[in-house]
Amino acid sequence: MGWLDGRAARLVGESPAIAAALAAQGATLVADGDCDILVHVASPPPVRLAHELSHAEWRATLDAGLDQRFLLARDFAAGRRAAGKAGAVVFVGAPEQALGADQAAAAGALGNLTKTLGVEWARDGIRVNAVQTRADDATLGNLVAYLVSDYAAYVTGAVMGVDLDD
Amino acid sequence: MPVPSHHIVPLPPPFGAPPYPADVFAGQTVLVSGGGSGMGLAMAMAFGQGGANVAVMGRSLEKAEEGAARIAALGTKVHAISCDVRLPEQVSAAFDEAERALGPVSLLANNAGANFPVLAEDISVNAWNAVTRIAIDGTFLCSTEFARRCIARGQGGAIINNSAQYIWTGFPGDAHSAAAKTAQATMTKKMARDWADFGIRVNAIAAGFFPHETSTAGRREGGTEVLQNMIPAGRTGSIHEFGWLSAMTCTPLLAGLTGQVVLQDGGESLRRSLMMPDYVPPRERAEGPWGWR
Repeated sequence: MGWLDGRAARLVGESPAIAAALAAQGATLVADGDCDILVHVASPPPVRLAHELSHAEWRATLDAGLDQRFLLARDFAAGRRAAGKAGAVVFVGAPEQALGADQAAAAGALGNLTKTLGVEWARDGIRVNAVQTRADDATLGNLVAYLVSDYAAYVTGAVMGVDLDD
Repeated sequence: MPVPSHHIVPLPPPFGAPPYPADVFAGQTVLVSGGGSGMGLAMAMAFGQGGANVAVMGRSLEKAEEGAARIAALGTKVHAISCDVRLPEQVSAAFDEAERALGPVSLLANNAGANFPVLAEDISVNAWNAVTRIAIDGTFLCSTEFARRCIARGQGGAIINNSAQYIWTGFPGDAHSAAAKTAQATMTKKMARDWADFGIRVNAIAAGFFPHETSTAGRREGGTEVLQNMIPAGRTGSIHEFGWLSAMTCTPLLAGLTGQVVLQDGGESLRRSLMMPDYVPPRERAEGPWGWR
């Protein structure tokens, strides 16, 4: 018996560990359409000193690490509301101070967005959490699977890491 | 006010369906401070559901024994111990006793704590010392005793600390606990660093409101029913989901998790609007320092 039996999960971005954990807990991974769970993984941008970042590079990090994530979560939540069903979102990405200033801005913004959406959508039964880490292993996979399961029904607006590097 | 019927309130699975196998802690012993009742008992039950032997520690042996009896009903091997976690000799003796009765302690749940509504100016030296030292010194003494034993055996271990949702915001009307619970969370992060090389993991739950028979906040006219709509999640927490998350952090499923403070409060501690209700200083609240008593 898995934590996510009967649930459809959409994983956007690359994380074999998260994909494996979601499937191991009984979730069906779907590429698009209706789903109970949205997990978004942003790949880490290259590390540069702030004054060596072009505006285009800066924008690319903010687009992938913040804007696209917000828009995707907003659409997911709209679908859940239309269906009258609960849902769970987890954002996964690098920690705030781990890379460049672009990541610091994107991850900080995403963290506070997570807290905001967690409260704004609480009574839609839609939980929103974030794991900001450089880990990509079984612990990350299991943690994300736990967070999107009913076992974490009382966890929303939480921003956390995995290990001492986070 | 009741939660409107069109709102969706996510619920956890029932107590009989824990998130880990019944043998996930088989052969291991957990020591739970303040394990005789309330949140500590929930932690102890959760470890028991994973097959751990459970040492229930409390200041009152009678209360520890009552809790231990409830955990034993799950089929768990238990042992009740009386201990004041503020006293190093008693902590050391309690670990000796637990290990004699149940075997090496490789899991630790620091839950012992006290908490009550009081204006800061009315906190006596005794009250301040009691609340802060049970949580701060107690967590330090139990954790270091635990770590020394793990290190001497050359084996790792896992610690979970019961912190609180108000550690980032302050808690007017509860200054002693505001200080104490934040110390627990910050020492969690540093101890995780200190003991990473020894395979000892340390995490904390920043726990919201999980009513139980012995919670101050649960003793209120009308019980906790009227409190459900105060919380974004639409309900207070179920004590067993707190126990599960606590035990879960100590399982091999999360073997890489350390130095983390996990918020589990149904969104209660988060801001919910820009405009807030009128500010009333705690001493002018008609219903006491917490505002509703």
